[in-house]
Amino acid sequence: MTHQRKAAPTRRRVLAGAAAAGAVAFAPAIVRAQAKSLKIAVLLTRSGYLAPAGQSCHRGALIAPRVLADYGHQVDLVHVDVESNPDVARNQAERVINDGVDVVVGAFDSACTLAIAQVCEQRQAPLVVNIAAAPALTEQGYRFLVRNFPTGSQIAVNGLARIKAFIEATKANPKTAVFLHVNDTFGTAQRQAMDRLLPNAGMPFRVLESIAYDPRAQDLSVEVTKIRALKPDLVLVVTRAADAIKLVRDMVRQRFEPMGIISPGAPGLYDEEFYEALGPLADYHAYAVPWANPKSSMAQALEKAFKPAYPNYRFAVECFNVGFTFEALLVAADGFKRAGTTNGAELMKAIRATNIKEHIMIGGPITFDDKGQNNNVPSAMVQNRNRAPTVVLPAEDATMAPVFPMPPWQGRT
Amino acid sequence: MIELWRIAPPRGRIVIALALAVLLALPLAADRYVISVLTLIFYFAYVGQAWNLMMGYAGQLSLGHALYVGVGGYVAALMWLKLGIGPWLGVFAAVAAAAAFGAAIGWLGFRFGIAGVYFALLTIAFAEFTRIGFDHLELTGGAAGLFLPFEEKRIGEWWNLRGGQLLFYYLGLALAAGAALLVALMARSRLGYQWRAVREDETAARALGIDAFAVKMAAVVISSGMTAVGGVFYAFYYNNLFPSQVFEISRSIELILAPIVGGLGTVFGPVIGAFVLTPLGEGLTAVTGRFGINAPGVKAVFYGVVLIVIISAMPSGVWPRLAALFGLKDHAR
Repeated sequence: MTHQRKAAPTRRRVLAGAAAAGAVAFAPAIVRAQAKSLKIAVLLTRSGYLAPAGQSCHRGALIAPRVLADYGHQVDLVHVDVESNPDVARNQAERVINDGVDVVVGAFDSACTLAIAQVCEQRQAPLVVNIAAAPALTEQGYRFLVRNFPTGSQIAVNGLARIKAFIEATKANPKTAVFLHVNDTFGTAQRQAMDRLLPNAGMPFRVLESIAYDPRAQDLSVEVTKIRALKPDLVLVVTRAADAIKLVRDMVRQRFEPMGIISPGAPGLYDEEFYEALGPLADYHAYAVPWANPKSSMAQALEKAFKPAYPNYRFAVECFNVGFTFEALLVAADGFKRAGTTNGAELMKAIRATNIKEHIMIGGPITFDDKGQNNNVPSAMVQNRNRAPTVVLPAEDATMAPVFPMPPWQGRT
Repeated sequence: MIELWRIAPPRGRIVIALALAVLLALPLAADRYVISVLTLIFYFAYVGQAWNLMMGYAGQLSLGHALYVGVGGYVAALMWLKLGIGPWLGVFAAVAAAAAFGAAIGWLGFRFGIAGVYFALLTIAFAEFTRIGFDHLELTGGAAGLFLPFEEKRIGEWWNLRGGQLLFYYLGLALAAGAALLVALMARSRLGYQWRAVREDETAARALGIDAFAVKMAAVVISSGMTAVGGVFYAFYYNNLFPSQVFEISRSIELILAPIVGGLGTVFGPVIGAFVLTPLGEGLTAVTGRFGINAPGVKAVFYGVVLIVIISAMPSGVWPRLAALFGLKDHAR
């Protein structure tokens, strides 16, 4: 056993020690600037009146880090519920930025997203909007915001164009239609957009009447009787889940068989409870909405991660919320990879210069215009087939051919 | 006001002066998150005070006060956007419009003897049909919302309420403090005593010669006008108005919680209530996050449980209990 003499503290050793201690003390700033992982706060409406959609987005956020890692992106997520309330959204945005997140993603609801946007603008923290349709988000000159989601009017315009293509592709010839919509805020906004756009959309059919209904009604027999009396070829609908079920049930009960039920961009026809409640009667209804590309390898990878994580949910049904939330995280991670820094201004500059060709949703590469808006998010035509949403248009991304007119209610299995 | 200060107990004067001094100086030390939470506290203290005037003092239950927030916000925002009239002037039009709504509801209710829960239903109905009306009103952007331009370069234009966080912090503080002072003055005025007489026993008050109709109308008009000022603050703070957000019944419930928890019919009740509830919500978010409790809605459950506990333990509110604790029992109201 040998004894080594302890080194006496010399001035040089003390200075070296002090330097090392200083390096440790200032490490957070250095590490922050050269971080390998991007810290992202995902603010979503996971409770409150928008909870179902917020939770669906949340499922996408939870599986995202693993899938992103496979594509070479390291992200560290902080999940925050904004309770469908702009007050909470604003405060929580301040809190997470204080806590050191580099990017904020959210928030499904336009009012909450606008509240967050103001905080991000003042704090110079990039905000990547996953889902929110208010045009004002990208019309007010926010420098620290990008949106990878179409505006409300883009959804309506793209939706009508896709419905037109759907009718042309099937060589059907509907001459008349009735527009049936819920009388809530969303339904009313859709009605206003349809009133504005339909006259100039060059559709082959004429709208006989627009009928509003209360989504909380016990049944829709009165509305269906009214539609039946008008004898339209087509029924255009803006529904929620429960009332979409009532609508189809009342149509079957009254033996009213239009050529098809088509939505220009609304939930209801592709909610899980719709398939569960109606079985084969849920099939052949179609809707024009932005959708995940079933042929994209990244979408397939996301689905592969989704299945074991959520055995009680179907990716095919959830892919709208899950896909857009994942893409928002992808945009942030990709920007970070190119910027190589978490500095807000530089990171934002890189995010604005995004050009991602391989992604989840149907459409062109993810790019942003001067206002931070991605204009390459078209609507797909999705049709319920074998109790699952199935892309039928655009043809290059479709997994099945569109069917229109729909088969009769009777004899479906 | 001087009289009010004179009759306040020395301990009360010290607490008020200290609290004001701390709140005035706080932005020097606090971070943006704390300031943001405090701004919200001031907002809820203010609108809670406006509601407290009507329910706490005059005994008229309104469950549709979000109506006045919405009307106030929309009127001021429209005047600025369409006519270029800034919010400092627009607020007068906002107050007038909301007061007109309040007067219409009050007249219908009080003239035809609609009282208690039926009056509350009337207020909900008005808020609901105004929301539906705004959903279809093209001038206000309909259901798609109304947006005030948010431009970084205009920050500093306090005359247009285009300010940063500090502007809204101090404005909120001024509103909350001003409302508390106004309510304290009114509570000690002839009208204040008449309100309380009507609240306790309307028949007896009438027998004493009090014009119950006029007294109740005064309460609803003043309360709705005051709430509209909160609406202007809301519109220019958030820079957007959606009918589904501002007129929602959940908003009405939200703004009456502070006075109920703090102490109905007391000057400091809404202030204390706001200081309890807003940090409670934020604290629960932080705690559930810290412990990794990620289930949505769990915070709402905890929040509800805490509310039940507070209301069970202190049925007349937190402030009367606090006042008793600090020997200010006689001044609790």
